[in-house]
Amino acid sequence: MSMKITIRCFSHVRQALGKETVTLKLQDGTDTTEVERTIREMAGEALDGISFRIAVNRKYLSFPTELKDSDEIALIPPVQGG
Amino acid sequence: MNISARELDSRLTDGEELSVIDVRREDQKNRWPLAGIDAESADLEDLDSRTFKRPTVLICQFGIITQRWLELRDLDDLYNLIGGAQAWISHREHRRDLSRYSRQMVLPEIGEEGQRKLLNAMVTIVGIGGLGCPASQYLAAAGIGKLRLVDGDVVDITNLHRQPLFSTENVGHSKSEAAAESLAQLNPDCNITSAKSFLCEDNCESLLSESDVVVDATDTVSARRLMDRFCAYHSIPLVYGGLYRFEGQVSVFHLNDGPSYSDLFPVTDSNSGSCSDEGVPGMLPGIIGSIQALEALKIILAIEPNLSGKLLLYDGLTHVVEQIQLKG
Repeated sequence: MSMKITIRCFSHVRQALGKETVTLKLQDGTDTTEVERTIREMAGEALDGISFRIAVNRKYLSFPTELKDSDEIALIPPVQGG
Repeated sequence: MNISARELDSRLTDGEELSVIDVRREDQKNRWPLAGIDAESADLEDLDSRTFKRPTVLICQFGIITQRWLELRDLDDLYNLIGGAQAWISHREHRRDLSRYSRQMVLPEIGEEGQRKLLNAMVTIVGIGGLGCPASQYLAAAGIGKLRLVDGDVVDITNLHRQPLFSTENVGHSKSEAAAESLAQLNPDCNITSAKSFLCEDNCESLLSESDVVVDATDTVSARRLMDRFCAYHSIPLVYGGLYRFEGQVSVFHLNDGPSYSDLFPVTDSNSGSCSDEGVPGMLPGIIGSIQALEALKIILAIEPNLSGKLLLYDGLTHVVEQIQLKG
């Protein structure tokens, strides 16, 4: 069984992927660590040295969490400009 | 004889020739100045040898010392100010013209009581750049009583598209000083101090202490971390703002034991991109800095909800605003 999740990309992640939103089909039981690995592979070197926090359904996560079908994930790097 | 603060004010306003003698200690006079009175300073002990040619009002801190002094003497035309300097300051505070703020005082969330809170509040803004300019302008205009502006930089020609508080002739001048000058003209009620320094370990105690709210309008990770630690230790609410191209972030930290910047971003990369590297439309800091000013005002007035425990994300391309809930 697979599930579909939507990934919202902010700042550096958006810049690196050239997209605001990415939809991924993943195997059941996939967690947020796997999503981060997939996104970093897609971005190549553009995200090297860039950290980001992960929110699922608009709530921050402090540790890896198993995802469900239709979850919305946000990838949010810190921004420095002022 | 005794005179109330209200009567003294009325007689001075009427142009009556009254002498006023402030008998307080130097430190009291400096800390609680008597606005609106041209008072002579003297020691109470020295007054016995003087003659008074016209009605004279004696002012001590609470009106007790001068009252006792007068009770022991039978002197015509010599008055004790009931309640002393404290009563005068309180009276002046209540007769202040608040019409400038009428359009925000109409709001039930603010009102006259809230406006007086703002006039007694102290906000420190660290970084007088893209975010600090609109934040300081709106906070000064709102009647924040004391604004402290911290920035060691000078105005550069490339700043002007996003920092319209400055004019072309300010280029090359200290940002904090140029901003203080401009804001003093905007609102004379606002007591503005400027520090021509960058925030660092050595000066953060003197630059951030006594603040009711600190506004983080910097563009360096080290300054953000320093403010975060200081505000955590002293339980001072910190209003964070950050920019990246067309995107902005705002949050409130350390409010009623709420989350901190390090809870939001435990790791921040030094190469996460400044406005000069990544570019920014001038209006974006205008929007984000204004949201920071609004959060600072709400914190002072305890207006809820606020952005404590949430990260606001603003997208200047789509104008979508969303909030991410922070977990503890």
